[in-house]
Amino acid sequence: MAAVEESFKSISAAEFFYKNKEIAGFSNPARALYQTVRELVENSLDATENYGILPRIKVSIREMEVVPEGAYYEVIVEDNGVGIPPKYVPQAFAQLLFSSKYVLKQSRGMFGLGAKMALLYAQITTGQPAEVVVAPIKSKRVYGFKLKIDIGENRPVVLGFSTTSNISGTHGTSVRLITLGDWSRSKQRIYEYMKRTAIVAPYAEILFRDPEGNYLLFERSIEKLPPPARETLPHPHGVDIETMKSVLKSMPNSPLAETLVKSFQGVGTATALRILEEARLDPEKMSGDLAEQEVEALVRVMRSYRDVKPPRADHLSYLGEEIIVAGLKKVFEPEFVAAVTRRPSVYEGHAFVVEAGVAYGGKVPVADRPLVLRYANKIPLLYDEGSDVVFKIIDEKRGIDFKVYEVEFPAPLIILTHICSTKIPYKGVGKEAVADVPEIEEEVEAALRGVLRELRSYILRKRRELEEVERAVEIAKYIPEVASSLSKMYGVDPREVSVKLLEMLNSRLRSFKIADLGSVVV
Amino acid sequence: MSTGGYTTRVDAGARERALKILHEKFYDVLKDVVEGRVPRLVIKKRTLSNTIYDPERKLLLLGDATFERSFLDLREARKFMQTMLMASIIYEALTQGEYPTIRDLYYRGKHTIRYRKIPSKAVGEENTWDEQAESDSVLRDIEVFINVLREEMLVLSKEKGKVVGDLRIRSGDDVIDLSKMGHGAYAIEPTPDLIDFVEVNADFVLVVEKDAVFQQLHRIGFWKRYRAVLVTSAGQPDRATRRFVRRLNEELGLPVYVLTDSDPYGYYIYSVFKTGSITLSYESERLATPRARFLGVMMTDIFGSRKLGKSPYLSEEERRSFIIRAKERDVKRAKELREYPWFRSERWQIELDEFLARRVKLEIEALASKGLKFLADRYVPEKIEVGDWID
Repeated sequence: MAAVEESFKSISAAEFFYKNKEIAGFSNPARALYQTVRELVENSLDATENYGILPRIKVSIREMEVVPEGAYYEVIVEDNGVGIPPKYVPQAFAQLLFSSKYVLKQSRGMFGLGAKMALLYAQITTGQPAEVVVAPIKSKRVYGFKLKIDIGENRPVVLGFSTTSNISGTHGTSVRLITLGDWSRSKQRIYEYMKRTAIVAPYAEILFRDPEGNYLLFERSIEKLPPPARETLPHPHGVDIETMKSVLKSMPNSPLAETLVKSFQGVGTATALRILEEARLDPEKMSGDLAEQEVEALVRVMRSYRDVKPPRADHLSYLGEEIIVAGLKKVFEPEFVAAVTRRPSVYEGHAFVVEAGVAYGGKVPVADRPLVLRYANKIPLLYDEGSDVVFKIIDEKRGIDFKVYEVEFPAPLIILTHICSTKIPYKGVGKEAVADVPEIEEEVEAALRGVLRELRSYILRKRRELEEVERAVEIAKYIPEVASSLSKMYGVDPREVSVKLLEMLNSRLRSFKIADLGSVVV
Repeated sequence: MSTGGYTTRVDAGARERALKILHEKFYDVLKDVVEGRVPRLVIKKRTLSNTIYDPERKLLLLGDATFERSFLDLREARKFMQTMLMASIIYEALTQGEYPTIRDLYYRGKHTIRYRKIPSKAVGEENTWDEQAESDSVLRDIEVFINVLREEMLVLSKEKGKVVGDLRIRSGDDVIDLSKMGHGAYAIEPTPDLIDFVEVNADFVLVVEKDAVFQQLHRIGFWKRYRAVLVTSAGQPDRATRRFVRRLNEELGLPVYVLTDSDPYGYYIYSVFKTGSITLSYESERLATPRARFLGVMMTDIFGSRKLGKSPYLSEEERRSFIIRAKERDVKRAKELREYPWFRSERWQIELDEFLARRVKLEIEALASKGLKFLADRYVPEKIEVGDWID
């Protein structure tokens, strides 16, 4: 037991990830360039919207030097976020698994690992340090760092530091890396990522410059931010052995009962004591002293302990119907758009919220099946659609029958799903597909059916309106003839009669009016 | 009997009357429009269910059920437009002293409406009416709506009725002697009301359904020998023929006998003369001849009748060569006739039952084949003589 811990400790976290870089998505130059952009952009979004700042993000990729495996690229991502205080910059960017305490918070990046992996990958492929410039909010100065990671020791190495006065009063973070990549093989992927990110972040302004010199600007179309994600303690039902070990390790010298109360939501002293009694553990025992079997017993009891409130969901940051609608409208210019945010729900001790959106008609391309945009914690999931829970729900044979909602393919239909949770049950290491956990599946289906019902009423209403228009034309086209007949018999002005008849017809139309008879009669 | 006068004056009077009514009746439509109400026409229904048989007067009359033709009703809008169009065409023809035929009315009103569809913006084309049946139909609606017949509005139609006999009539400015038509005959004019009877030498009227039989009877001098006015409708009788026959009966007091094929269609032709037609029941009051008698050919003429103590005109062998097997639709039609109130008399039920039992029919031509003399000198005079007709 202890030997295992020893051997784990014998390699640093940085070394471990370096040897297993494909786990974090850096398996080849093309994938790495995409992953680098993605990690930095997601950090920027987290650094802005979580603090009530409307994001303004600039992304630039430039080709520096062609090499056999691809090329070296300069990647710069700049935001107007809060800016990390300068004293934390080295650890935040150049020390893996740096974290002060074990709390849960819904964020795009997991474990704060992504940006560090990007730095690590850049360092080992090009040998160039990362340049990080921060201007914390309200800071009078701007701080610049040149950073490297000491892989063996998992320690940041500061190669250079500079500071200047913050004359303009800006705030934010800028990261510059020189990294190995392959633009031609990742171009499509990066563009798709940018577009899909813009869909769920219509409140952000994103400017992208690609290595070919093209600029792509996603303008801000809504001034509203999603509610910020807040930190929360893990729920007893969601705890696993690894998490429990980390919790215990973070407070090795406090009694078990106190550790439980401080580290889990919904656990007071009385509950902590009952849990420990059931696990046959001494409440006074120091947290760092638990044996493996004792940890397992504690986890087992906690996961099944009934007398505890369900997990809180108020810390989750969902997009909200307004933002989904704005995003779909902005990017696709559809004829109809609807969104729904479901009430929070729980699976295996983790709170989650499902949202769905639908865009139909307009400039949405017509296709044989719906275009599905999947998101988890606001991150677009681009690959592995076939094994995702959403795919199962809309499967042609066993899933939702779109005909029920008056949609017959080929049709211009886009479906958006967003699952947010402190723990997304991904399938596999690629983190591109969500597993079909029954509770989540049920919620996603309910959300989709909800927006599809709105689509159905829209299609039916539109059909009715179209029928009304057609019926109105069927009558309006005879107005001049009737007017002329009356004019011949009674010498009245046919135009006056036409106007009167058109007024009468219009007053009976609900969905539209014929402004001018000239638009109907040729 | 009308006492002469110039038809042109008659025409002018008719025009004025028709114009006045037309103007008054359609004025409500204009009033509706001006006062912001949806214009609509309330017209009596011309349907079987609204056709009522008056047993007293022996007439098929239009009932009181009405339907509403509103311009903003999608199903009626086109018909409303057509009705207004037709009214304005007739109005103009009347004011300009014209005599349009129903075919003229069709052509005068027919033009293309071009309109833009919404939202496709495609241009659609539609004729005010496509077939003459459409313009004829709204013309009938107008006749019913304003209660004026088309003849009274000086609208002519192609008529096919013919007449010969010892009588002189005034039509327009001419006096015509109907006994001096040679091998031909006088074609009944579309406006028989404008005819004056000048002099008449006849005891009865014989109406023959078939033109060919009419010609045969004319050639052998039937009308001279029996002091008859000989008329043919050449099939389904048109309005002028019916009106002319009605005037012969009503104004000259001549009994009218009708001779048709012995099948449900022939029987119905007779009933149109006598009581009116279902589709045109609004004209019956002026066109029907309630005292017209059905002379034949009867089923009981062919087979005889024990019940009536009547022996057949045809021998077993003649029957075998002349009668035709009835078709399915003849049988169906006979069953319909049997239900019509004006065929409900005991005498008609005998004929129709006989038809349904035998399921055969006979054309008048067959009697002529047996011998024209038989038809002219025995069958017709004998049946009139003994009163073997159905009233």
